[in-house]
Amino acid sequence: MAILELHDVKKNFGDKQVLKGLTFEVPEGSIFGFVGENSAGKTTTMKMILGLETIDSGQILIDGKRVHYGNSLINRMVGYLPDVPKYYGYMTPKEYLTLCGQLTGISKNDLSDRIEKMLKIVDLPINKHRIHGFSRGMKQRLGIAQALLNHPKLLICDEPTSALDPIGRSEFLNLLTSLKGETTIVFSTHILTDVERISDYVGILHDGVLKANDSLDNLKTQYAKSQIIFEFISEDTAEKAAQILGKNSHNNQKQVILNYTGDYQIIAETVLNTLLQSHLIPISMNRQKTNLEDIFMEVTA
Amino acid sequence: MKSTWFFIRKELLESWRNYHLLIIMIVFVIFGIEGPLMAKLTPDILKMASGSGFSIKMPDPTSIDSWQQYYKNMTQIGIYVLVVIFSGTVSGEVSQGTLVNLVTKGLPRYSVIVAKYIVTYLQWCLAIITSFLISWGYTAYYFPDNKTPNIWLGLWPLLIFGLMFVAITILGSTLSTNNYGGFLISVIVFIGLTLLNLFKDSKRYNPIALVTDNMSLVKGTEKISHIMPAIWITIFSALVIFYLSILLLRRKKL
Repeated sequence: MAILELHDVKKNFGDKQVLKGLTFEVPEGSIFGFVGENSAGKTTTMKMILGLETIDSGQILIDGKRVHYGNSLINRMVGYLPDVPKYYGYMTPKEYLTLCGQLTGISKNDLSDRIEKMLKIVDLPINKHRIHGFSRGMKQRLGIAQALLNHPKLLICDEPTSALDPIGRSEFLNLLTSLKGETTIVFSTHILTDVERISDYVGILHDGVLKANDSLDNLKTQYAKSQIIFEFISEDTAEKAAQILGKNSHNNQKQVILNYTGDYQIIAETVLNTLLQSHLIPISMNRQKTNLEDIFMEVTA
Repeated sequence: MKSTWFFIRKELLESWRNYHLLIIMIVFVIFGIEGPLMAKLTPDILKMASGSGFSIKMPDPTSIDSWQQYYKNMTQIGIYVLVVIFSGTVSGEVSQGTLVNLVTKGLPRYSVIVAKYIVTYLQWCLAIITSFLISWGYTAYYFPDNKTPNIWLGLWPLLIFGLMFVAITILGSTLSTNNYGGFLISVIVFIGLTLLNLFKDSKRYNPIALVTDNMSLVKGTEKISHIMPAIWITIFSALVIFYLSILLLRRKKL
């Protein structure tokens, strides 16, 4: 079942149409990577899901209930992590989380336990230090704590890893992966390797619509541009090899790049046999896998 | 309703930790001490200033002068001090984006206005009453006369005026995107009401009567029933303006 559904959602800013009929679903329990260029409308989409931005037309459903602008009851089952979370600097993390917990309706007995657990998870000290002295990374970690505090069914993260150092980023991604199954996660990012690392589904937002929306494996097959790269000892041999291998290949200095479709095993065997028959021995042979970056480039081209 | 209560506690903590409460207390304690003292010292100061060459006949100061000082302070600079402190209450949160997180946690937007209104009004009352009590004490000490029989009667209108003026400040703060906008709107309204007072016929109905007629009430030369229409209009306007702020924030982008 889909926990989040968008149906033909449109949004204009002035006379610029940012979203031109965005439609997609996010299945419960999955991790959905939401990618797109700057100003493609990712943040706008997320704000609309949270009821922070008006919807010009179309509808958004969370767990089957329609989202209305400014109406916040559905929000109780949603966690939100903005790119740069803003807090009351005069509070301590514990005080801030208490306020958040109270607002989401967590019972008094539960709350203090949960806050301490959460602060431990995100590795923030439990003391009297106020938030105004926090670094950006610490604020981001507090952001994670507040977003997960109410055990949300749906977690929405807007470029969550942008402020984190490599270790923090890796830990954060692990944390997200560990939530898989209980919490549905939608996260937007520019860092495609992050998406490849943890996402089940990828949506590529381009030109106001979702250009691609599928599991990463399916996308890879769909947009597969499989290549084998051979390297030869000299440019001459490379040129000869390219001639023998036909129009699917081209040479580039000492390299020969062969485009293929179908099963690698079979293709590689045939190609190697052909080369051997002509006594052309490559010094290296590499199978190039399609990555998300290639897919992204192709979709948004 | 629970959310409003949690947000009220947040507002109180904010006022305490950001030193708003402290500033208000210091300023209004000074006002409280200053009023009676000025009334007491004014003749001496004038005497010193005019030199010993000739003497002016000055009537001895009374409790009327003392209370006059108090109401002058409260209804002029006092109100502006409060507005300066409160005018960023909504606009500050909107421009910094601190509300986003709480609203997405399920905080209803009306709670923000309700809580801010209550806490701001409490501070208004605290400021004015603190100053009043100090002023009362010193006045009784310096001027033990009976020329000001209705001491409390002057205070009520001022507190009721606060109901409306706090609402205006919050509306101004919701309308504007920075502190100055909120401040400007409140000041313009105040000046507008004062100008309206130039029309003699409107005086009984103008909310400004609540902060201009205090001395007549204290002296007993005017009955509260005279400004009753203005009081009702003030309360009614407060409700309308308060509700407008709620509507406005509901539509505001956070």
